[in-house]
Amino acid sequence: MPKCCFNDVKISGIVACVPPLEKCIDDELELFGGQVKQLERLKKTIGLSKRRVVDAQTTAADLCEQAARRLIQEAGVNLEQIDALICVTQTPDYLQPCNAAVIHGRLRLSKNCAALDVNLGCSGYVYGHWLAHSLVASGGCERILLLAGDTISRLVHAKDRSVAPLFGDGGSATLIERSVGAPSAYFSLQTDGGAYDRLIVPAGGARQPLSRKTAEVIEDEAGNFRSLENLFIDGAEIFNFSITEEPKSVKELLEYAEIDADAVDYFVFHQANRYILGNIAKRLKLDLAKVPMQTVERYGNQSSASIPTAICGELATALADRASTRRLLLSGFGVGLSWASALVEVSELAVCELIDYTA
Amino acid sequence: MELKTFIKNFEEAVEDVAVGSLSGDTVYRSLEPWDSLAVLTVIAMVDAEYDLRLKARELKQIETLSELHALLESKQSV
Repeated sequence: MPKCCFNDVKISGIVACVPPLEKCIDDELELFGGQVKQLERLKKTIGLSKRRVVDAQTTAADLCEQAARRLIQEAGVNLEQIDALICVTQTPDYLQPCNAAVIHGRLRLSKNCAALDVNLGCSGYVYGHWLAHSLVASGGCERILLLAGDTISRLVHAKDRSVAPLFGDGGSATLIERSVGAPSAYFSLQTDGGAYDRLIVPAGGARQPLSRKTAEVIEDEAGNFRSLENLFIDGAEIFNFSITEEPKSVKELLEYAEIDADAVDYFVFHQANRYILGNIAKRLKLDLAKVPMQTVERYGNQSSASIPTAICGELATALADRASTRRLLLSGFGVGLSWASALVEVSELAVCELIDYTA
Repeated sequence: MELKTFIKNFEEAVEDVAVGSLSGDTVYRSLEPWDSLAVLTVIAMVDAEYDLRLKARELKQIETLSELHALLESKQSV
């Protein structure tokens, strides 16, 4: 995918929604076989701390719906005027139909509204923006509701130390609309499908349907437990990928846009973990004050919801000043392998808020 | 790439290893704090200090710090 630029499109509001149940790695010493030292190293080095997870009844669609309701209310959106609903998720309510259709019905949107899902994770929020910007810029839509959310905590095996303490859940809603004269938005999108099995839930799709065999929990060489229905990560490979490709892609997008890194107000990366964020920031020689990093320590790695949660949770005050425009670089990387960056300008957001989900 | 400096960088990357306690003959995978986190921090150190990509698989295939050092030198000369 070549890099691209869209004009006359603006972001009007963002709401992120997290479940109220908090888990903390300090309470999970048992998972680490009572090894206090190992747990302390993980806390210190990787930055693992707290995370918010859903209960067994709550799905990504629920979190996204609540974020969407708040956004629609605060931004005063007329439901008839939403031309498309895009839902980015890898944890939909059903194999069919798509989450976008389900939420379209629950929000009672107009029948004159396109609705589709995008099956992407950590890069998905940026992909969703690219799709929405492209549709609006081409004249295909005036106003798009972009939802992005996942409940990865429900895919990990509780006794898998390599993933269980990392992931939290979250949903989000973003309003994107036509606005003549809005500043240009720049995008780059990349894929390395050759490494698709480095971050994967192997069973449950058509290739390997659920069976007694796929439900069997197996202990790996490092003493972690998972079945083929659980999320697997090759941590070292994904780390290598993140610190190699991410800085490169960010640099290339800035060059393409002819914008200096100093002219960017905030670099909002997918909140994988503090260690990866710190390494990316270091390679790009970024001022750490411009790089939100607390979201992952409070809420966990939220997959597609991490970037909007970081914006709403850490930048709401900075973005509240309606008189000034802020330049944000958004960048997500992960499952696919897939990575994408966007350079956007944000001003006069009708709403930028992080809410707790209420059942 | 000097072996002495490399060993020092390695000791700093793997926490809970006393600086100066390792040598070229150290079988690093037998070290008590060697785990998947140490694999990550060593990969990150090699990337940051030497701008070289080390794979987790490669760390599993060799034994001593001297051999690891030699592997990195061969990568450097490519």
